[in-house]
Order: sequence, then structure tokens, then C-alpha cells
Amino acid sequence: MIAVSGLRFRYAGSERPALDGLDLSIGAGEFVGVVGANGAGKSTLCYTLTGYIPHFYAGTLEGDVLVAGHEVRRTPVSELASDAGLVFHNPFNQISGARYTVLEEVAFGLENLGLDPDAMRQQAHAALLATGLADLAGRSPFTLSGGEQQRLAVAAVMAMQPRVLVLDEPTSQLDPAGTRAIFEVLRSLARTRQTTIVITEHKLGWLASFVDRLLVLHDGQLVADGAPRQVLSEAATQPWGVGATNYTRAALEARQRGLLPSAGDLLPVTLEQALETLR
Amino acid sequence: MDSLKRDFNTVTLVMIPVAIAINIAVGQLALLIKVPLYLDSIGTILVGVLAGPWAGALTGFISNFIWTIAGWYTPAIAFAGVAAIIGALAGIFGRAGWPNVWWKAILAGLITGLIAAIISAPIATYVFGGVMGSGTDAIVAMARSVGLDSLGANIAQGTFSDPMDKMATYLVVFLVLRALPLRFLARFTNLKARS
Amino acid sequence: MSEPVRRPSAIEALHPLTKLALMLAAVVAGAALPTIPAVLGVFVLLLVPLAVAGGCLRPFLRTCLRVLTPFLISLLLIQGFFTPGPTVLLRLGPFRYTLEGLLVGLLFSARLLVGMGAATLLMLVTRPDALMRGLVERGLPNQIAYIVITALQIVPTFQARARSILDAQRSRGLETEGPLTVRLRAFAPLVGPLILSSLMQIEERAIALEARAFNRPGRRTSLVALHDTRAQGLLRWALLAAALALVAARLVLWRTA
Repeated sequence: MIAVSGLRFRYAGSERPALDGLDLSIGAGEFVGVVGANGAGKSTLCYTLTGYIPHFYAGTLEGDVLVAGHEVRRTPVSELASDAGLVFHNPFNQISGARYTVLEEVAFGLENLGLDPDAMRQQAHAALLATGLADLAGRSPFTLSGGEQQRLAVAAVMAMQPRVLVLDEPTSQLDPAGTRAIFEVLRSLARTRQTTIVITEHKLGWLASFVDRLLVLHDGQLVADGAPRQVLSEAATQPWGVGATNYTRAALEARQRGLLPSAGDLLPVTLEQALETLR
Repeated sequence: MDSLKRDFNTVTLVMIPVAIAINIAVGQLALLIKVPLYLDSIGTILVGVLAGPWAGALTGFISNFIWTIAGWYTPAIAFAGVAAIIGALAGIFGRAGWPNVWWKAILAGLITGLIAAIISAPIATYVFGGVMGSGTDAIVAMARSVGLDSLGANIAQGTFSDPMDKMATYLVVFLVLRALPLRFLARFTNLKARS
Repeated sequence: MSEPVRRPSAIEALHPLTKLALMLAAVVAGAALPTIPAVLGVFVLLLVPLAVAGGCLRPFLRTCLRVLTPFLISLLLIQGFFTPGPTVLLRLGPFRYTLEGLLVGLLFSARLLVGMGAATLLMLVTRPDALMRGLVERGLPNQIAYIVITALQIVPTFQARARSILDAQRSRGLETEGPLTVRLRAFAPLVGPLILSSLMQIEERAIALEARAFNRPGRRTSLVALHDTRAQGLLRWALLAAALALVAARLVLWRTA
């Protein structure tokens, strides 16, 4: 579904490339997380996968990026948008403002796609149900809380039923309940609709519990790609600026003090894994 | 990249409602702090300068339309044409690079204010009977008491208030342009680049 | 911003363009008719019954009063004292208040009452997005509708933002009261952050709009359909014809009004 080869991108006026030689292949229905320090290139990757690079952000792009059958370089964003959706982290900026109610806001993209009203209603309602916004369907988007607005952004893009959904730190303004809601929706999309999900996040614990595959970006390069526990165990001891969950840190500390064997098994990343390690 | 400029008139489109909201919010702030200026066309002029005369004219026109239909100031729609002209002028001044030089910016404000006054006067005279229901009517009364007719009195009143307001507005625009990151300004082709 | 009154009314069920046509016809009539009673007749016989049918008579009259009163006062004073005429009603020093001036003032007031009343009534009985949808169906570019509705919706957010910047700066000791120079100097730290932060949001808002395929070429559809009837279509044409007739009459028959 996503095939990236030799991707290099340098923003106009910048000396250092933001992405420096990326090769990546993601299949349909994969739920992929992306982590990395700030400035590692996570947002740049998100914009590239959805076409805003190169069509919205000026710079030099090398390499090939194929998303949902479209060559990103040659496809205008408005055409790509129906197959590759983007959600980013500021909830207010994602409300179009063109519609007065939550339901109409979710259906806005579908109206632009020219769907007939019955299909629109069905897809919009499904998206509202999935994001837990069904009760708010008649409210104005501007009266929603930040967390609700972010869920609205996800619903609005989800309703268009794209084959690829890219999310750039979508839960940064959400509380744990809101974060769980988003992750569960995404997992369900990947499993039931075979939507390819790419999500960048700093919340390692959540990623570890939900994603199938984790990528690590460091200085614009892909330095790790694999199962979450494996990747995060490695990241805990590498200078990638990824950080670690509390469980990982506790285990590392325990190893240092000799309470746990210092090598061998992978480090725990989640609570369940930590409990297992203690057994 | 050509597609950048071509496809992304979306940026201009999205800027217009934001500019209208700036017009309204700053205009109300001026009333709140009791500053004796309207300062309700900063957004219009900013759009004109950055995105060109048509975008500026559209911003001004719709701005006045919205003052009326939202019920904040019902008479506004009668002056939508004036607001459009102010926006268009901003586009022309932008192309010539005036808003980037402080004294040229103020001069642009003076010219805009005078033109706005001259075009508003007939509207005030023939639509509103020569009054606007506000404090500026005192100036109109004074002008009439020395013998000016309704149109003349309104021109006099406008020449007193509008240039001051527009010069202050252009000064604000000048300062805003200096504070904006170059990366953002690079998206707009109308404003002649700073040398 | 005024919202249509909650009680369902016959007026609200009308197609938005029908309501627009009614109000425009009222404005034209108010501007074209030559005498004070005729113009007031438009208000009393057309606008007021429509307001009653729309279930919003009180807010309508209240707003009309609020908007018209400053004009009425200024008009009666300035036109009364400064319009030349033979029938003097009052002398105040060198100034003469004439009957002719009073009548001119009243006529302008009546016309303004109709004009501003029509605009007010239209927005009391019509949702802005319904009005825009109606116009888009008839050919108004989508972009214009987007601008109008979005501006209406984000203004309250901006007002709130301006307020919170004002409060924050005041609590940091910014003086906003006192002599004019103080107040003017207070303006920069208030307006600067508001404008700059608003402009910086524009890029993301543009991306969000693109993400909804807003610029996609091709047919657009609508979730909600506006209800129109043949009778209303005919009414709109009739109103247009009436408006044109009034304009012609004004230009030809009633020239001196």
C-alpha cells in the first residue's frame, strides 16, 4: 500500500535534509507507529505520505513515494486526499468552519467527493459512532472540547474511507480516555477495513499496546523497524532520543542493580511484559 | 515548484475568513479600549497586500456583508463597495512594495483614507441622509452649520476621520509584515519583496 | 449572532431564496416609494406581518428600535436644522428648525427603518448556511460560501482570544485606561499576538481543507436538500417584477421624492 524508496527531502532554505534516504514498505491493514526525537523527520514523513510534500511545502524531493497506487509527486493533493487521509495534532485548525453541525462537518468531505446523500449519511454516521461522537451530532463543532474536536477530525477524515490514514501526534491534547478511544478506532479500522494506519506519537506505552510494527526515525533516517517490543528495547539503549516507558526504565535500573539478568530477553515495554519479566 | 503556487490559492482562501475575524475582533477591541479609530480593516488590507487586489476586495466586501448579517452593525453593507476598494488599493500598494517601508506605508494609508472618505460621503448622504448615528455626526453638524451642504459636510467629516484611521492601520500592517516569518511570506506573490 | 427562533414557523420553512427575495423587494420598495406613509406602509404591512409569521416579532422590533434610534435622532436634528425651507417651527440662536427639514428627516428615517428592518428580519428567519446553500445552488462559487460561513463561525473564537490576551496583558500590568497616548500604546501588545498567531494557523487550516478534498474538480453533492415549491418560484419572479416596476416608477414618475 505504501512503497517508499530512496526518499530524501530538504526544506527550501534549510541546509540539513529532513529525510535522508528512506526505504520503506507497508502493506494494507498494517497498523504502524513512528517514533523519534523532535526534528527526526516524523512530521515530514507524514506530510510526504499524504502529498503535502512536495505540493504544499517547498523543497527538494528525491526518490519515489507510492501511496495507495498514486505516485505522490505527480498526484494533486485534492485527488490523493480521498485515498490517503491526514490528521494532525491541532484540533481547532482541523475544523473546516464551513458547516454548522458535527454531522455536517463529518459529511463535508463526502460532499466534496460527490457521494449521494444516502451513502454520505451512512458513512458519516458510522464514523461518528466509531469515534463516540454520535450524541454530539447536532452540536456546533466550535462548542466541543479539544479532545472532542480531535475525535471529530479523525471522524471527518475516516468518513471518507481512505485506504491509508496518516496521523501526526493526534492524541497530544487528549486525556487517557480520549487517547484510548482514538487508538481503538484505529485498530478497528486496520482490522476490519484493512486501512493502513501510520501514526506518529510520543506515547510509547500506547503504541506498544496497539501497533503491529514500529519505526524509529533518527536524523531523517530509518534506524529501526520491527515489532514494538523489540524496537523499543533497542531504542532504550540507543542515542535516538526516543525515550522509554516507565517499565523499560525500571527494568534497566533493575538490571544495573543486579536484580534482573543483565542480558538476554527483551526489555519489557508494557505492564503485562513487566509482570512477565518478574516471574 | 509551480504546483505550489497554483494549487495553493487555498492558503489565500483560508486567510480571508481569518482576516475578516481579525477585522471584527480588532475593531471591537478599539471600541473597548476607547481608541478613537475604527481599526476594522487591518485584515482586509493585509490580504490585499499579500494576495493581491481581487483577494483584498473580496475580503473587504464580505467583511461588511458579515457585519450586517451577523447583526453587529446593520448599516455596514451599504459601504461594502468602499471596503472592497480599500482592499483593492492595498493590493496595488503591495505590488509596489509600499507597506514594507514605514513612511510609504503611512502615505498609502493617507491616500486610502482620502479615497475612502470621498467614496463614502455620497453613500452617507443619499442613503443615510447625511448621518451615521454616531459621534461623527457632531462633525457633520459643525460642517453644515458653516454652510456646507449634506454631501460637502460628509466629505469634510470623512476627511477628518478616515485618513487617520487608515494611516494607523497601515502602520500596524507594516509592523506585522516585519514580524512574519519569511517562509510564510514566501507563499504570497503579490507583495514586492523587501530589499 | 442571531439564530432563528426555536418555534417552527411557516416562514422558516420557506426556501431561503424566497425570503431573500421578499426582503430585497422590501428594501427596493422602501427606497423607491415617494411618501412617508407609503414607506412606513412597507414596514407595517409587509415586514411586521412576516415577523409575526416568523414568531420573532419582539426581537425584530427591539433590534429595529436599537439600530434606528441613533439615526433618527441625528436625522431629525441635522436635517431639521440645516435643510433650507420656508416653514420655521423653532428658532435656536442663529439656527432655524424647519418643517421641510423635519419631513426630510422623517422620510430618511422611514427608509432606513425598512432597509435595516428587512436585513434584520432576514437574518432572524434564515440560517446563514441555508442561505449560502441556496445561493450556491444558483451558481454562487463554493469558495464564497466557505468564506462567509467560516468567518461567521470563527469570529466568536477570535473575540474570545482577544479578550483573553487583554486579560493576560492587564494582569501583567498593561495600562489600558487613562490618557489617549497610554491607550494607543497598549494597543500593540494586544493586537500583535492576536494577528500573528491567527496568521500562523492559516497553513494548517489550508491543509485541513485540502484533506477534505475541497479543491477536487468534479461534482459536489449536498447532505441536506433545500425544500422548494413551484409557488415560491413564481413568487420570486413576481417580486422581481414588482421591484423593477418600482424602480422604473421612481425614476420616471416620482422624481422629486
